[in-house]
Amino acid sequence: MLLVLSEEHKEHLSFLPKVDVAVVAEFGRIALEFLRRGTSRKIYEGAARKLCVPVEMVQHGVEGLMFLMTESSKHMISEVDFLDSVLVLGFGEELNQILLQLYLQHHSQIRSVLTLLSSNMPAYHNVEWRLDVQLASRSIRHQAIPMLTLRLLLTRGRDGSTDHSRVLQTDPSTLLHLISTLEAALAAMKTSHTRRILRNIK
Amino acid sequence: MELSESVQRGLQSLADPSVFDQTSFPALLDVSFRSLLSSHADSGVLDQSELKQLDQILLKQSHTAATTFILEAVKQNADKSTVSSCLEELTFSAERIEIFCSTYQKHKKELEHLLASIGRQPPHVNDVSWRLQYHMKNGQVDKVNEPFYLISLNAESKGIPEDINFTCTMEQLQDLVGKLKDAAKSVEKASQM
Repeated sequence: MLLVLSEEHKEHLSFLPKVDVAVVAEFGRIALEFLRRGTSRKIYEGAARKLCVPVEMVQHGVEGLMFLMTESSKHMISEVDFLDSVLVLGFGEELNQILLQLYLQHHSQIRSVLTLLSSNMPAYHNVEWRLDVQLASRSIRHQAIPMLTLRLLLTRGRDGSTDHSRVLQTDPSTLLHLISTLEAALAAMKTSHTRRILRNIK
Repeated sequence: MELSESVQRGLQSLADPSVFDQTSFPALLDVSFRSLLSSHADSGVLDQSELKQLDQILLKQSHTAATTFILEAVKQNADKSTVSSCLEELTFSAERIEIFCSTYQKHKKELEHLLASIGRQPPHVNDVSWRLQYHMKNGQVDKVNEPFYLISLNAESKGIPEDINFTCTMEQLQDLVGKLKDAAKSVEKASQM
């Protein structure tokens, strides 16, 4: 699959061949750092001063690089396709190779960063359980009710590290029902229908 | 069972055949149990024809005393002999004790249930629903191609349903089921002790 770069994008990237190869490598490093941590205006200004070019030019160049990397990683394009897509920019062979290396080295990292962006549902992390017997409460004594207290730990969407825990309760018979229902869910993965789909959509 | 003075007095009036006769005694008993078991407070609960001719203040005192006594008995899981001896001390005739005890036995389980539901509890899980989906792509990443489960735990907190939704991979679901099975095993072991 080839990447289609917009005119604006090509214009932003046209800054790159005008500078040293070493500078491009540096921009590549900055671009990846920005993808991980977020942009910083100071770095743009510093680089612009050193190269004696306007700040916007540096900014566009770096942003163009960032976008090139994220789009390539998003679609998991092959080496050949990447080089063909970059060819349209009319850069020299050396520059193309640098961009390719940048892509190959970092694409899985970039993909995992992008994946964090997309998850917006709470995901299972862990469950802790405890068996208790309720003996009495304020309103009634002489009880003997077995109950299972569960603590469900979920990671909340965007910020993968934030754990969100819910305390829940159930009784032994419901527990057995939950187990059999979820085992049926696991069995669904092993049916020939599921296997066929998993095999064929790649 | 420890009863306050006003409760004792109210019950003694109830025991007295000159205050509550053969028809009004079972009527008040019935009303007392009913007002505890019904889910709506009914201000007209004492407007029964059998109770019309009684002194209304005395009626209210006896009604309050009877309901307090019933709740205390259920709370302490009092058996028939405890209730009987208590009523005997409060000058109830053997016949009235018999009527009281049989009604008490009839409604005891339901009242226990009612009292047990009062109080704070974490949401109670009743059921679970699941969906198996195949994640192909999303706005940020293409070619994801991973199956995943969407699990929904149907819980209830004081009658208000509350759903807890989350996603998990097959490995995570296996982990969850494994842990739940451990819990079930420990319940089985504990029940055999």
